[in-house]
Amino acid sequence: MPEVPVKVQDGDQWINTKIEAIEDRIKFSEPFNLEIPYKSIIDLSEKKTTLFLTVKGTPEATYRIASVEKIILYLKRKIIINCGAYRIKAYFMSPAIRGGVLVTDAIWEKGAIAVVKTGIWFVSQTKQVCVPLPEVTAIEITKREVQNKRLDVIKIEHLENQDVVTSFVLCPMSTLQVLFNFLRDATKTYDMKGDELDSVGSQVSMLVYSGMDTKAIENMLNLTPKEIEDIYDKLLSLGMIDVVLKRREVQLTPKGVRYISEAVKPPTQ
Amino acid sequence: MGRILIVDDTLFMRTLLKNIIFSGGHDIVGEAGDGDEGVEKYKELKPDLVTMDVVMPKMNGIEALKSIRAFDPNAKIVMCTAVGQEQMVKLAIKSGAKGYIVKPFQAPKVIEELNNVLGS
Repeated sequence: MPEVPVKVQDGDQWINTKIEAIEDRIKFSEPFNLEIPYKSIIDLSEKKTTLFLTVKGTPEATYRIASVEKIILYLKRKIIINCGAYRIKAYFMSPAIRGGVLVTDAIWEKGAIAVVKTGIWFVSQTKQVCVPLPEVTAIEITKREVQNKRLDVIKIEHLENQDVVTSFVLCPMSTLQVLFNFLRDATKTYDMKGDELDSVGSQVSMLVYSGMDTKAIENMLNLTPKEIEDIYDKLLSLGMIDVVLKRREVQLTPKGVRYISEAVKPPTQ
Repeated sequence: MGRILIVDDTLFMRTLLKNIIFSGGHDIVGEAGDGDEGVEKYKELKPDLVTMDVVMPKMNGIEALKSIRAFDPNAKIVMCTAVGQEQMVKLAIKSGAKGYIVKPFQAPKVIEELNNVLGS
């Protein structure tokens, strides 16, 4: 790849520069004059068209690179394929299900899975999908029909902008088990015993998952405001929810009542 | 806006789907608790779209899908099933289902899917 224009964050500023992705490293032009061997990159994540790459060392250094989508796509692929990550050849399907809706044109893609410090990447000739480990919500080994054969696959669910996205990974069983164990260990802080919630608490969780607001949940389950507050407290204490909005119940003051009384009077001639 | 029939044997799921569908600006013209009733309600109400659970008593969702499609080959039916029953997908699609939703689901995506099917 020839030198391409990018912006690199330096403190609070974004500096215009050029980078060149050569065989074994990325070269940054002035004012950075820096070379980063791919093998020294231990983490890669992305946010829109910005890449965050972490380079090993004491301390580790993180670089933020922003550019147009085409360049970011090229850089991502180059880094994922060459960086110091645990990598396995695999087939993947991502996304297979989004928000519970089956993606009907989803296909198995031949590529690789790269495990970096804070996430895993699915990479093929045309696609790079990042699954950040803190966003992984479920992992299981299950069976899927692939070319008329029932094969073991890993099912991974993760959150992507509050959408629950399901992906599948297919590789030899021994590798599948290693990947599964890694993901399970990396996300075990989310494990629950299963008896922390009663059936109403579970139903409330399910409705929150489905996007229902508090009023709808109260109506659907015939709960009083106090009851739902108690359940929310329980879910908060278990780390299962965040409060995103506090609503207020109000009543009119005499001034407010007078305003309404005046407002409904017919207009005077 | 579409006229939608909900077929599911659990009240909880029917109520949840009603809320989601209503919030998406559609009308719920009826609901049924099993496949048999779903087929009868379809013939009676002629909805624009049906959400159909797969595992139900009396007549399951796949059989109900086939019966409705035999009655009306243009019927738009979105299947709705629990996690782990994905093997039903091929059978449902082969039998004429226009979409597939896996429980648990998220409201915005369900509405998007129903709008896609209604617009198809």
